[in-house]
Amino acid sequence: MTATLKERAATLAALPVEFLFRALETPLAFVQRLVGVRGMPWVFLLPNLAFFGIFVVIPLFINFAFSLTGGTALYPSDRVYAGTEQYAFLFDCENFADPITCREDRFWKGIYNTAVFIFFQVSFLVLFSLVTALVLNMKIRARGFFRAVFFFPVLLSPVVVALIWKWILLRDGLLNAFLVSLGLDKILFFVSPEWAMFWAIFVSIWAHMGFYTLILLAGLQAIPPDLYEAAEVDGTSRERVFFRITLPLLWPNLLVVIVLALIKGVQIFDEVFVLTGGGPGTATQFIVQYIYNTAFTQQVQNFGLAAAASVVLGTVLFVLTLTQLAVTRKRDNG
Amino acid sequence: MTDIVLEDIRKSYGPVEVIHGIDLDVASGEFVVFVGPSGCGKSTLLRIIAGLEEVTSGTVRIGGEVVNDMRAADRGLAMVFQSYALYPHMTVYKNMAFGLENSKLPRAEIDRKVRDAAEMLQITPYLDRRPKALSGGQRQRVAIGRAIVRDPQAFLFDEPLSNLDAELRVAMRKELALLHTRIGGTMIYVTHDQTEAMTLADKIVVLQGGRVEQVGAPLDLYNRPQNVFVAGFIGSPRMNLVETVAASSGDGLSLTRAGTALAIPAVGGIAPGDAVTFGIRPEHIHLTDGEPDILATVTVAEQLGGETYIYCEAEGLPQITLHQPGQVLVSAGDPLKLAVDRTNLHLFGADGRAIANGLAA
Ligand SMILES: Nc1ncnc2c1ncn2[C@@H]1O[C@H](COP(=O)(O)OP(=O)(O)OP(=O)(O)O)[C@@H](O)[C@H]1O
Ligand SMILES: [Mg+2]
Repeated sequence: MTATLKERAATLAALPVEFLFRALETPLAFVQRLVGVRGMPWVFLLPNLAFFGIFVVIPLFINFAFSLTGGTALYPSDRVYAGTEQYAFLFDCENFADPITCREDRFWKGIYNTAVFIFFQVSFLVLFSLVTALVLNMKIRARGFFRAVFFFPVLLSPVVVALIWKWILLRDGLLNAFLVSLGLDKILFFVSPEWAMFWAIFVSIWAHMGFYTLILLAGLQAIPPDLYEAAEVDGTSRERVFFRITLPLLWPNLLVVIVLALIKGVQIFDEVFVLTGGGPGTATQFIVQYIYNTAFTQQVQNFGLAAAASVVLGTVLFVLTLTQLAVTRKRDNG
Repeated sequence: MTDIVLEDIRKSYGPVEVIHGIDLDVASGEFVVFVGPSGCGKSTLLRIIAGLEEVTSGTVRIGGEVVNDMRAADRGLAMVFQSYALYPHMTVYKNMAFGLENSKLPRAEIDRKVRDAAEMLQITPYLDRRPKALSGGQRQRVAIGRAIVRDPQAFLFDEPLSNLDAELRVAMRKELALLHTRIGGTMIYVTHDQTEAMTLADKIVVLQGGRVEQVGAPLDLYNRPQNVFVAGFIGSPRMNLVETVAASSGDGLSLTRAGTALAIPAVGGIAPGDAVTFGIRPEHIHLTDGEPDILATVTVAEQLGGETYIYCEAEGLPQITLHQPGQVLVSAGDPLKLAVDRTNLHLFGADGRAIANGLAA
């Protein structure tokens, strides 16, 4: 009785699909007659290729073209060819280690800030993710619940994440209310460059940790449990088990996590922009925000310079991505 | 040396008890084999001894010392896993040295031990390879080598040969026996293969459903099984077991089922009307020209040249297996007259316990 009901429900649910397939049959048969069987895969790929081409590949080339032009005009036809002038301007520095000696010091300040950000953010992100993964891999109470809790922030939009933390950190925010209730002074987090950078790093770790924890957790779970049992029977200390068994076997995953975190770190923009607006001053202004400001928010919209900076950033990302692909391939080939 | 004593060991996973009170003595230097069907608790028992599982109740003693609360690391045992559990990122050499490095032995000492063991197991040429680049048999040797180098109080093996092909298994079996005579440690070996158990063990422990069915030397178990389970489990092909009802017949008894009646002398503990299972091994049934005990028809005859296995059916009886030396030329459908060797006849009561193992001629 229930079986027949279920069957009927299934038949009913399949109806729209069947109808769709019937409706598609004639046009698809027609297309196949036009392009041949071998052409069909391309037909199916076409929508995606078109989308990717229009919104990624073509802009890539336009951007490169823009980076070779000067002036403030928007339309390519109105722009004047400037050769590598924009690049020369970006790289016109007396001392690359010191942003102030550069002609375009905001660009170099952005790079410098990004480097500081990446250094701390990636180190602690990887460290915290690793520790969290190790803990979540143990037989603890409510393990499923904690796994979900740590992954939850990943599902939030960066803007939402930043707004949540802004409410907490503002002059009259939750944290300051708490400090006051303890009898302490308020701290103006967004007025101090150090605090601003600290919270930028903290919030981005908070937001992304779940994702990296998940990758590491998967890696930990792929280590056969009998290796640990063998080590235990052999009288291996916990530290030695960690450094000689867990870490080496987790290393490929760890490497993927590090490179991915680097790639994401270089691109840091949205959540910090909403949180601190790049301030105070340019204390938390990163390379992507420099590009954004240069192109869109300045009095003089310098598309050429922004495009050139984008090309520089793109090159860095390209190298990192190649690294990541190589690392992943190495891991998957064992 | 090291003896291992289990006293009333019980183990539950949640509400489910899987080991129901096991007592066992393993003497120092003894080769003990746990054998039993899948899921009977062999691995669990071995892991309890290793310290990888905690007991729910009962006592484990190693060398006289109660080790219930001692970590696996401190028990001084070595275990060989069914999966070998070799560290994939270390070379064979490192794999074997790893346990020794834990005990902070000097380098030179470690090196000597590893090379000695490698020599003994003939894996010296592979010392620099990773486990991935070894065959199953070679990995097995490395796993054993890793255990040997540590000079453990006792060796624990959990189905170490079950991932090998049949031929290699036989070869490794011989090597293990040789190894035991050479290094002479206490060994506990888990298998579900009764041939392995018979050939390797000083003492076999037959387990079923978390209980010990019988403990004894291999031939003891073979010749004098204490119950139907052991009778059926030990020996290949398995013993013929026929459930019958006893009836009186002259001075003695007759075990009857369908058209068959097996006359036996009177046996203490069997009264007419009792349910009796008789067991007879395939090699203890003979072909006769005289008065047969069983009239049967051949269903399959397997000619191996040196010996013949004949499977036959008789009305109202389960399949009967014969093992005859030499070449007995029969084929399917041939009628056979079978005689049962009373001196090797096993009788079991309704509760499955042995009443007699072999009757007077
Ligand atoms: N972690 C566990 N949780 C619950 N039940 C378990 C657990 N481990 C084992 N068991 C149960 O305990 C019983 C004994 O398992 P064990 O692994 O000892 O069997 P075994 O004799 O080694 O079998 P096999 O020959 O298949 O390896 C089985 O019924 C199994 O289902
Ligand atoms: Mg097992």
